[in-house]
Amino acid sequence: MKINAGNLKKGDFILYQNEIWQVQKAEFYAPGKGAALMKTKIWNVKTSKNIDITFKSGEEVEIVEVESRLMVFLYKDNENLYFMDEKTFNQYSVPLTAVSGLEKYLKEGEKLYVYIFNDVPLSVRPPLSVRLKVVKAEEAVKGDTVSSAKKPVTLETGAVIMAPLFIKEGDIVIVNPETGEYTGREGK
Amino acid sequence: MKIVTKAENLDNHKKYIFILKLIDDFLQKKDYQKIDLPVLSPALIPESYLEVFETEFKFLDKKEKLYLTPSPELFLKRLLAYKIGNCYYLGKSFRNSDLPSSLHSFEFTMLEFYKVNADYMNIADEVLEMLRYINKKLKTQNSKLKTKTKNQKLKNQNLKLSFDKWEKISVVEAFEKYADIFEKELFDHQLFLQKARKKGYQVENFSYEDVWSQIYVSEIEPHLGKNGYPTLIYDYPKEFAALAKLNPDGKTAQRFEFYINGIELGDCYTELADWKEQEERFLKEDKQRKKLGKINHPIDKGFIQALKYGLPDCAGIAIGVERLAMVFLGFDSIDKLKVIDIIL
Repeated sequence: MKINAGNLKKGDFILYQNEIWQVQKAEFYAPGKGAALMKTKIWNVKTSKNIDITFKSGEEVEIVEVESRLMVFLYKDNENLYFMDEKTFNQYSVPLTAVSGLEKYLKEGEKLYVYIFNDVPLSVRPPLSVRLKVVKAEEAVKGDTVSSAKKPVTLETGAVIMAPLFIKEGDIVIVNPETGEYTGREGK
Repeated sequence: MKIVTKAENLDNHKKYIFILKLIDDFLQKKDYQKIDLPVLSPALIPESYLEVFETEFKFLDKKEKLYLTPSPELFLKRLLAYKIGNCYYLGKSFRNSDLPSSLHSFEFTMLEFYKVNADYMNIADEVLEMLRYINKKLKTQNSKLKTKTKNQKLKNQNLKLSFDKWEKISVVEAFEKYADIFEKELFDHQLFLQKARKKGYQVENFSYEDVWSQIYVSEIEPHLGKNGYPTLIYDYPKEFAALAKLNPDGKTAQRFEFYINGIELGDCYTELADWKEQEERFLKEDKQRKKLGKINHPIDKGFIQALKYGLPDCAGIAIGVERLAMVFLGFDSIDKLKVIDIIL
């Protein structure tokens, strides 16, 4: 289906230079010379790269109907992440290159949305946050009460993130899986 | 659409109001006369790249169409023809069909000022001095407020720019440097569109102006105002002359825009005083508006009359004040300055 670029919105999948991209940001821009434009940031589902593209708002853009299907994350190897569709029991693999580091924060057995086009899995929708157990954390030095100070902690998936000094082994922390940032601790 | 109250932005809004005051202070110190103007007008300057708001004045059993002004230009130039001298307007302007974004709203605050016996580069000097003035006064105010939150300190570090000089680049130089498009290709419509197609742009069913603008925004703008100084980009192809005087080369117009951090903040012309040429450009723009199906507003004939009477040699600039404040205060959106916002 073709639509005018002026109607693009965040979340749409488009075909651009023969590849599938998801719109991350779309902003109208009238530069005061020539036609109005649509400034977008698009994300390549294959390479997980972001690029900035400016379309003329009247330019036709091919919209791709990509399905997002809830699946169980089974395991990963050096190349792929493996998922299972719980309804059909079909297994799908998503290349690691398409998720750019997201795999470091995924627990086996977790349910995630996988983007599917023509029954081919493209990528994984990053969850807004993940909850992971801290398996290793150094004791904070006594008396160090600077609230902004951070230390490295190891999570159950093996990922190492920077967390506040009060975080202890066994704590469940909340992490933004796209940036690897600590965003909070789960209350006990 | 809805009205959103953002009282949490009051501190930001106060700084914005302070910047408005700095602009007034600066221009008045330099003897520019502030003018208050109507925002509703029965006729406008025809401009094909923008849409206007239309309304009606109803009285007795009659009604008359009125339009919200997309710029104060038509009024200020009349006054200039009456030899009032250097003057400015600082107030609301309106552009219909412009979707709200982080940089723009369909209703916005515009500073437009004119200097007589001046050309666009004289205005450039004036603007640089104004930016320096605003920057200095904001810094002084910030050091007074230093005890405030960490957050504010952070924000004020964002503008690492010197206002000692402009980074000046002509449109021709910029296309060559950033887009690999050479002078010969830039002005020849056919060669330009060919080159654009090779670069992967859609050119079928689009005009030179449309594609030019797309490449300008994609490949040129992101580099402007990022080399330690604000950037002044000047001498646009005559297709973008609007109300600007042409250069002796006949290919470019005396127009400049200026940028900080890749954001366009102002648009300046050496004003076209030739009423015949202006009338021709108006008719062309009006025709284009009709072709595009835009609101068919009356052309301001009094404006042409004023030019006939004699516009003094002058140059003027329009500056988006919310954007300017946003850049100076280190925000990523003009929304952060607003305490009342109308959103879609």
